[in-house]
Amino acid sequence: MSEDLESQLRTALRPIAPSAALEKKLIACVTAKAPLAPPVAGRRGRLGFHPRARWLSLGVAACLLLALGIQHRLQERHERENGLEARRQVLQALRMTSQKLDLAYEIVKSQSTSLADENPGA
Amino acid sequence: MGNPQALTALVLAHQRSVYSLALRMLGLKDLAEDLAQDVFMQLNSNLQSIESSEHLGFWLRRVTAFKAIDQLRRRARLPTTSLDEEAHQYADTDASDPLLQTHLARLLDCLSPQARAVMLLRYQEDLDPTDIARTLDMPINTVKSHLKRSLQIMRQKTPGAHLARPEDYST
Repeated sequence: MSEDLESQLRTALRPIAPSAALEKKLIACVTAKAPLAPPVAGRRGRLGFHPRARWLSLGVAACLLLALGIQHRLQERHERENGLEARRQVLQALRMTSQKLDLAYEIVKSQSTSLADENPGA
Repeated sequence: MGNPQALTALVLAHQRSVYSLALRMLGLKDLAEDLAQDVFMQLNSNLQSIESSEHLGFWLRRVTAFKAIDQLRRRARLPTTSLDEEAHQYADTDASDPLLQTHLARLLDCLSPQARAVMLLRYQEDLDPTDIARTLDMPINTVKSHLKRSLQIMRQKTPGAHLARPEDYST
């Protein structure tokens, strides 16, 4: 085959005329009165929702999820702050207790030293 | 465009193009007829948006190609047609080499839906790559690579065939 494949393709793919019956149908399709815009009920989805209502409900659901997420994060942060505060208070209490114990120890120690000075033979 | 005679003339002018695109994309006469009717029904609802004769041709090719590609995507596999039916479908041309041309037309079935649409717009509708890209919302380089690859496939599957100017489509 020495002929150019592209020209063979052009010949092979020349438009084909439809049958007379189809031609009539196509003319009927175009000349028929154009359908009016479908009524709102006709445009409803499978579940019977108006498309705008469907978008609205999706938006509300998304906002709700977002709000829940934010609330969860805030609660987490609040709990973490509470935990840190409790830890700080415990450390402070330990520090105070330690100071008191040191003070008591110093007092006991000084008293025992003075008693020993007063009664050296004891 | 509301004049019935003008509308009839419009169908007569474009029906071959729409029907042939549908038939060669889908491979079955019944499906092609349904698709062509679907396209013209859609045209009926969109007549107000058509600006000119060129725009009408563009619109019809675009809608037909997209609807056919959608159908092919929905179908995992093309239903098989009998050889007689295929011969009838593709035998309407007064070809110099009918066997070769039937073979070439059949080779389209090996291509992906997009590639098939590109080849049909190029060789059936005689559009240049820029117009094909515009019709199919495709980058021009994609159109060129589809053309190049499809011609290579056809050359490989057609013993003795040689491509003319394959470099025309190099990207």
